[in-house]
Order: sequence, then structure tokens, then C-alpha cells
Amino acid sequence: MRSASRGWNGFSPQWTWVGFGNYLDLLFRDPIYAPIVRSAALRTLGVMIAVPALTVAVGFPLAVALNRIRVLRSTFRTLFFLPYVTAGIAVFYAWTYVLQPDGSLNFILSHLGLGTLTQPQGWLGNPATALPTLIVVMSWSAIPVAMILYLTGLQSIDSAVLDAARVDGAGNTRTMTAIIWPLLRPITAAVVMLNMRDALQGFQIFLVMTNGGPGGHTIVLGLEAYNLAFFSGLGPTLGLASALGWILFVVALLLAALNLRLLRRRA
Amino acid sequence: MTAVTLPAAVPVDRVASPAVRRRGFSPRLVTYLILLIYAAISVYPFAVMVSGALQGDQEIRQGAHLIPQHLTLSTLARTWSDLHFFTYFTNSIEVTGFTTLGVLVIYSLAGYAFGVLRFPGRKALYGLFVALLFVPGITLLLPVVILQGKLNILGTHLGIILPFVNGTAPLSVLLLTNSFRGVPGELRESARCDGAGELRTFWSIYLPSCRPALITIGLLTAIPTWNEYVLTRVSLNDPATYTLPIALQNLNSTLSPQQNVLMAASLIIVLPVVVLFVLLQRYFVNGVQGAVKG
Repeated sequence: MRSASRGWNGFSPQWTWVGFGNYLDLLFRDPIYAPIVRSAALRTLGVMIAVPALTVAVGFPLAVALNRIRVLRSTFRTLFFLPYVTAGIAVFYAWTYVLQPDGSLNFILSHLGLGTLTQPQGWLGNPATALPTLIVVMSWSAIPVAMILYLTGLQSIDSAVLDAARVDGAGNTRTMTAIIWPLLRPITAAVVMLNMRDALQGFQIFLVMTNGGPGGHTIVLGLEAYNLAFFSGLGPTLGLASALGWILFVVALLLAALNLRLLRRRA
Repeated sequence: MTAVTLPAAVPVDRVASPAVRRRGFSPRLVTYLILLIYAAISVYPFAVMVSGALQGDQEIRQGAHLIPQHLTLSTLARTWSDLHFFTYFTNSIEVTGFTTLGVLVIYSLAGYAFGVLRFPGRKALYGLFVALLFVPGITLLLPVVILQGKLNILGTHLGIILPFVNGTAPLSVLLLTNSFRGVPGELRESARCDGAGELRTFWSIYLPSCRPALITIGLLTAIPTWNEYVLTRVSLNDPATYTLPIALQNLNSTLSPQQNVLMAASLIIVLPVVVLFVLLQRYFVNGVQGAVKG
């Protein structure tokens, strides 16, 4: 898009060519936007690390547990998969309701005798808990896919391999860490890659649940690009928005290339 | 916040470890317990939604009851008719239906061309399509809106249906090409011998053999389209054209309704998706696996 290198508000027929100026403004020069963009970049990086980590940390054990049982397996699978298909504004509103000051999370905590853990301002109202809370909700909707992929992986492991390990005297824990986990590493790579991409580009949950608040503590790069493009009046920020969009694109490409390399090396 | 996920994060290895066994827990019981706890976390927001939607104005004001004492359908009925959610529902059906139809028609033809036919530049074109998977939606959002304006379809349903159809191109082409490629070539040759033309072969041999893949693509298109919020929000500005997610957002920001109304509106959005998913989940799970492997 050529608008990434123009100063333009999207409506006037006149625009000025600013070359790479928009990219520089965005990252360093602009006194208003550069600090926002830099802190948003840090936050996005945090989300890109935390969401995949949490998704793997919950999705893998769940798949292992699901793979151990026979009765009710498909029922559990259906229930676990619901968050993925319904991810959208409706479910995010339900979460917002749960996380409110008088919402049911605080209610449950105080009734379990964990009153000290409640958030009187609401989980999304406190600047310290807002981003971590959003990370948990994002992981909640990402875990189903991770779990399904791990489950497929677990079912495709040759049982002879596991029997051999058992014969050699490996216990459950050892089988898990020395055989199953390494065998499923390509799946972990895919899950991590997928979630990093979503964390980099996805901002719908931020838009719906906090819109960057409280006090700008949950502004991520995607949300900032969206706001620059559509919600800063007629100011000449369209070029900045495009520039930010293209920066995100380049980072996504680098990630994809990196992922491909890692997968090849393992193969 | 960690309190919510901790139970499920307990390493499963411990389930069968001797320490636990000595204390007399059956490993199977612990496994079920973990699954049960995570199932509760999975469905919790839906439970809240259903419970909120079934409460009256007075009860919801009193706070967090998960099980309503006075069940009522009046909130749902009011949202459906007085707040025009019926209109938004039909708008959503229209947008989702046409998008899905467009995707199935256009990309099954494209997939057939890429997977079965031989023509110069096939590989390069296919690579281009699949590479588009990596272009973030936000990068394209602004150009799409400017384009809608230039074509004079900004604010119409057609104006969002076209970019939605376009947006699923990489994934749909990828999955359908793979599945058409999997149809044995002998079938095509024998159809040819029997005098079937290209279109006839496509219609009566290839489409029926790839039915599961087509259903999968239909689901992978329909469900995100039904939930789509970002592009729709910046495209539509006449309330009469709103789809359900925008109507919900609008309801929340302009009328600041009580939570029972908000949850009823949310339930109206989520229910069709849940029903569709439960009926066709086999195809859905296959699709997700295929999408990632591709």
C-alpha cells in the first residue's frame, strides 16, 4: 500500500510524499505516537510469549489426560472445543461480565475464602491485572486447537515405542519427558507459531474487552494500528496506520521463515 | 487470574506417580477430576450467558447467581423483538450465507484448477495464494475500506461479503487443492472416455468425492464470518444493515443495558454456532487439523 509512505487523511485528494518518514515517525520521532507504539510493541511481545506458553502448558496435559480415558472422551472433547468455535464479541462480553467488580469471579473467590485475591476494581479495571487477565482469556480460546492437535499426535504414536520404553524400565514420568514430549515437538512448534501469529495480529479481544484501557495499559500494536486508521478523526494518521500494518506484516513473515527453518532442521 | 487455570495446569505425570497412588487416589479418578475442572472452565462463560439471559431485570441487579431463582424467557423475547435482534439475525444469515456460498463456488473451482488441471504458471500462482496466509488482516483493513468506498459499496452487505470471500482464499484454496489432488486420476480418465466434459467431470466426479472437505471449508468460513466484528464495524453504519456482533456492540455502547439483556443478545449469537458445531464437529476437527498441517 502506497499510503504507508504518505501523509494523508484518507479523504482529501492531496497528499504529500514523505518516504520512509512515517516509519521513522512511528518508531522514534513523533512525540505522541512513538512512545505509545514502543510500549505497545513491548506489550505485544509479552503477549506473544505468554499466550503460546500458557496454551502449551495447559493444552498438552489436557490432551494427555484425554488420551488416557475411554468413557466420556468425546463428550469432554466437545466441551473443550466450544471456546474456539464461539470466540467472538459475545463470549468476550460474557467474560467481561464475569470479571467485573461484582462479577462471578470475585464472588467465587470470596466464597472460597480467597477474599484477598479478589479485585475490587474488577479484573479488567486494575492496570496491574488487565493484561494478564486478557492473556488468560486469549489462551482460553487458543487451548482447544492445541489440545486437538496434541491429541491427534498422541494417538499417532506407535504403542510399540511406549512398550519398549516400559520394558527398558522407564516410568511414566520418564516416558513422558524422554519419549512422548520429544516426539510431539513438531506439534508444539505449530501451536507456538500459530499462537504467536495470532498474538501479533489479533486485537479483537483487546478492542472488545478493554479498548486499550485502563489508561492505555492494554494497547497492543494491532489495536493501535486500528485506532490510527479509523478512530483519530481526520488527522493525517492513515499513513502511520499503514506503516504499522506493514511492520506487522514483515514481523509475521520473519516469524514464518524462522518457523520453517526450525521445522526443517528437526526433520 | 492464575487461580482459574491452575487446576488444569497440574502436570498429568503426577496422576500415575507412586506418591499419589500411595495416598489411595486412583489415577483414573484424578484424571477425570482434572478433565472435569477444565470442562467447567471451558463452559463457564456460556453458563453465565445462559443464566443471565434467563433472569429478569430485578434478579440480575442483585448480583451473581449462577442458577436463577425465577426463570423467565421474557428477557430473551424482549431482546429478540423489541431490540430488533430478529432483523440483525436475518442480516447475519444473509452475510454468512452468501459468503459461504461464494467461497464454496469460487474456491472449489480454483482448487480443481490447481489440483487437477495442468496449466503454465500453476505452481507460482498457487504459491502466491498460499503466501497470502501470512498477510495480517489489519494490514489489509484500510485498503479494503478505501476500495469499498471507490466501488460505492461501503456500508452495504455486498461490501463486506466480497472481502470476506476474498479473505478465506488462502486457506480454502490450500485445503481444497489438497483434497482434489487426492481423487484418483483414473476416475477422471474414465469419465473423459465416457464423454464427460471438464465441467461435467468437476460436477459429478470431483465435487461428490470431496464432500467432507467442502463441508469443512463451509464451516471454517461460516463460523468466523458469523462472529466477524472488526471489518464489519468500520464498514456498516446504518443500523438497519447491522449484523449480530455489531448490533451487540451497539446495544452495549448506546443503551448501556442491564447484563441480562446483554447476555440474552450474546446467547442469540452463540447458540446457532454451538448447534452447528455439535452437529458437524467431525468435519470441524478435521478442518482444524488440515489447516495446521497445511
